Amino acid sequence: MVWFKRSQFLILLCLTILVIGSMKLTEFDLSKFRDFQNMGDFLSKWFPMNTESLPFLFQESLLTIAIAFLGSLFGLIIALPLSFMAARNTSKNRFVFSVTRFLLSFLRSVPEFVFGLILLTTLGPGPFPAVIAIIFHNIGVLGKLISELIESADKGPMEAMLAVGAKKWIGNLFAVLPQIWPNVLSQFFYRFEVAIRTSLILGLIGGGGIGQQLFIHFKTFQYQLVSVDVLLIMIMVIMVDYIGSKIREKVI
Amino acid sequence: MIEFKSVSVTYPGAKEPALADVNITFQKGEFVCVLGRSGAGKSTFIRCINGLQPVSEGYVKWEDKTLSEMTHKETLEVRRKTGMIFQHFNLIPRMSVVQNILTGLFGYKKSYENLLGLFKSSDRLQALEAIDQVELTVEPTRRVEKLSGGQKQRVAIARALVQNPKVFLGDEPVASLDPGTADRIFQLLKKTHVKRNLVSIINVHDVILAKKFATRIIALKDGKLVFDGTPEEFDDKVYADIYNHSS
Repeated sequence: MVWFKRSQFLILLCLTILVIGSMKLTEFDLSKFRDFQNMGDFLSKWFPMNTESLPFLFQESLLTIAIAFLGSLFGLIIALPLSFMAARNTSKNRFVFSVTRFLLSFLRSVPEFVFGLILLTTLGPGPFPAVIAIIFHNIGVLGKLISELIESADKGPMEAMLAVGAKKWIGNLFAVLPQIWPNVLSQFFYRFEVAIRTSLILGLIGGGGIGQQLFIHFKTFQYQLVSVDVLLIMIMVIMVDYIGSKIREKVI
Repeated sequence: MIEFKSVSVTYPGAKEPALADVNITFQKGEFVCVLGRSGAGKSTFIRCINGLQPVSEGYVKWEDKTLSEMTHKETLEVRRKTGMIFQHFNLIPRMSVVQNILTGLFGYKKSYENLLGLFKSSDRLQALEAIDQVELTVEPTRRVEKLSGGQKQRVAIARALVQNPKVFLGDEPVASLDPGTADRIFQLLKKTHVKRNLVSIINVHDVILAKKFATRIIALKDGKLVFDGTPEEFDDKVYADIYNHSS
């Protein structure tokens, strides 16, 4: 047992206790799959797909993409300067660093669904509060992730920019951003993909888009439309993933 | 032109100073090589000249002005007049040769001009001339990470040249290069130095290069200035004194 230390066995024991405890809390029971047949019966109701409403559902899908795109892009645009303020090596001082980190933690700790519920009361139902909810959460997530990328950037170019007499913020921007840009893009496209799934959830509270249609079709037992909704969602997610990887390839 | 008066630098948490009571003056036209073992304080010394490293005691004077008493604007002006090259080149990755060279003009431009890349055609011409001067034979639009070590250092020198510097600083600029390339880079530095009548202060590990190119050699040991003389005066005894292990 030369590969293992005694402390690792303790970690394994703790992990086992956590797994058993979580399984009890979540009623995790694989034997329930004995009624697998029911799922098969249920899924059979999804076919054949009802393609009559495809043009309308396609339009709703575009709305979902628009919500996710704006939510992610505006989130990124606002998160970028904040992330420089929230990184130890580029922040103006300790106070700015702490306040920005706290703000980002706060935004990250509130789920989009909760932001959506709060915003619905002032902005009314529709896609706009969904966009804002996704922006808020993405500022928190992207701000933290990008600030960590900034902290791990090579400090050599930053020193070179100071040495040429550039202002600190200009130097930081030019020395750091090109270094982290491919990773920033990766994070952006990942958040875009997550935002598509989030906008589906926001559809349940009136955020619009294909998520809202999925919710309506499910509640009204229109399973042949549900299958079309699910297919469109899958296509959207795969498409964003594909485009993201292609753009990243080009940038690198 | 540049004066160190009782300069000491102690890093936070360190017991011993990185630089201890250094007194020295540099004049226009001097090509100075700084020798010393790793950790002797050479990089700290170089960084004190353009204020990248603040001093703990004493002062560094530029002509008649003390660096630590300068306004932020004046400090930026000193840096603008100081071309600096580094061991690992410190170029901006994913940017082209010419874009990297143009960053040397950042100290001369307004923030919005830097941010939007608003460079005049004369600036671009200056960058292309710098490419010629450093005898770089690659496409100006080529990304810098695709260049060899020697080519990267030439880009770094070109970046420093467009600053139109009065002082040239080098922090072990040839330490990552093979001996042949290192010699050629030093030839280039010396040629530029003579042509522009600069003060050049360069950290180097290679004593042969220092003796071949320097007009003056100084040496640091444990943060103290232990030698200041001509290359001829830097003999085997001095070498042994500087590089022999004290512990």
